[in-house]
Amino acid sequence: MWKQTIEKTGQRLVNFFEAIYEISQLFLSTLKSLTSIWFYRRQVIDQFYVFLVKTLPIAAVIAVFIGLGSMIQGTYQSSTLVPRTLTMNVIFKSIIFEVTPIVLSLVLAGKLGASLAAEIGSMKISEQLEALETLALDPTGFLVMPRVLAGVFMLPIITIFANFIAIFSVFFVSSVISDWISQPEFFDSLQTNLRIFEFYYGNFIKPAVFGLLISLVGSYFGLKTRGGALGVGKASTNAVVVSAILIVFFDYYLARVLL
Amino acid sequence: MIEVRNLSKSFNGRPVLQDVDLDIEDNKTLVILGPSGQGKTVLIKILAKLIEPDFGTVSYDGVDIIRLSKRQFKEIQKKMAFVFQANALFDFLDVQDNLSLFLNMHTMLSAQEIEEKVMESIRFVGLDSTVLSKFPEELSGGMGKRVAIARAMILRPEIIFYDEPTAGLDEGNVGKVVELISLLKTEVCATTVIVTHDVDLMFKVSDWVVLLKEGRVVFSGKKEQVTEAMLRDLYATGENNGVQK
Repeated sequence: MWKQTIEKTGQRLVNFFEAIYEISQLFLSTLKSLTSIWFYRRQVIDQFYVFLVKTLPIAAVIAVFIGLGSMIQGTYQSSTLVPRTLTMNVIFKSIIFEVTPIVLSLVLAGKLGASLAAEIGSMKISEQLEALETLALDPTGFLVMPRVLAGVFMLPIITIFANFIAIFSVFFVSSVISDWISQPEFFDSLQTNLRIFEFYYGNFIKPAVFGLLISLVGSYFGLKTRGGALGVGKASTNAVVVSAILIVFFDYYLARVLL
Repeated sequence: MIEVRNLSKSFNGRPVLQDVDLDIEDNKTLVILGPSGQGKTVLIKILAKLIEPDFGTVSYDGVDIIRLSKRQFKEIQKKMAFVFQANALFDFLDVQDNLSLFLNMHTMLSAQEIEEKVMESIRFVGLDSTVLSKFPEELSGGMGKRVAIARAMILRPEIIFYDEPTAGLDEGNVGKVVELISLLKTEVCATTVIVTHDVDLMFKVSDWVVLLKEGRVVFSGKKEQVTEAMLRDLYATGENNGVQK
């Protein structure tokens, strides 16, 4: 019984690290295929469009509630001894640097990562990837590289959009429909103690890394799909689980290295 | 001329192809016949460099494609076309884009020229322009196969591979596909390689026949030399999936 459990756990760990190694290999071949970016420009533009259109509505909804939730938590936790501008500053920073990038990325790992894996996976099992090769098209260049670029460049844009909506919803609740903080104090609190690097870190660096992880992991599990519909389902699930684990790991790692 | 020597391939320790030798002459139609599960699809995919063999060589006019990288192989690949068993039409593109993808990506033709070529190939396979705006899931089995053949012919290949071109089609569509294969051979692409379990198809289109059993070539010769006893023996142990004997 114990032996079996240990063996199973060991096998899972081996599989996990094997997947990480193969994802790194896919990353390298994606970098190589960047030399053909002009050749695959239509696919790149298509994916940029798809990433934006698919994610903006859901990002907007999530951002509203990130703002409202953070606002309620922040004001509930702060004591009357802490100035309200300071509380608002903490809420603002926690939204921009942590809550929006990570919540949005985890949700998009579920939405985009799963759909990427399913899309490429169903192409794999129906021989469409081989059909691409017979047309002298490289599946990495045609499918993976455009999606990875879209992840890296579009996720920061979506995050900036979501941060804007989250902050606006905080402003609306705290200064417009209530007078918890005055409007001049609210805008003061946004600018207090804000370093430009922090702005880039929360809006560009983290989302770009998370976007890379979501698209790379989704593509990887799509390319590894075996079997029929069951295989596609498994690929989608694995894509979501592994990218979520990598997102939280890199959230910690980036903070440790860059802050 | 394609020369295959000592080709072997196994999956998870199970041999699928063993020491296969083949010669495919220019301007001829080779039919590789055998029941399901005998390694036919693996063989034709190795010929198109979609699967790497464990051992052996596949030479196109003296160039061993197994040793070539994917990048080096690209120029030879552009001279080939492949019609897949399940058509493998790109389901995110409509028929028009499925047909024009290669031309858009690899040629400098104008949009009008591409459209003319698309129309030419769609008419060649007996379909009309109404099909161009449809997506693969909207096509019937026979239409899908004909679009797949149109996609192959638009490449103007020198060699065309068919993987079970008549599988899953009704009698009427089988007749049309057989007609198209013959027409394509005379008008577009002379060298044709077909893997099939369909004995009728073999008799109708082949110039040369290879019988494949348990991953080995058990006969290679003209269709006139294929006897009933050979076919009985070929299908005796294999899975007989609707074989028309």
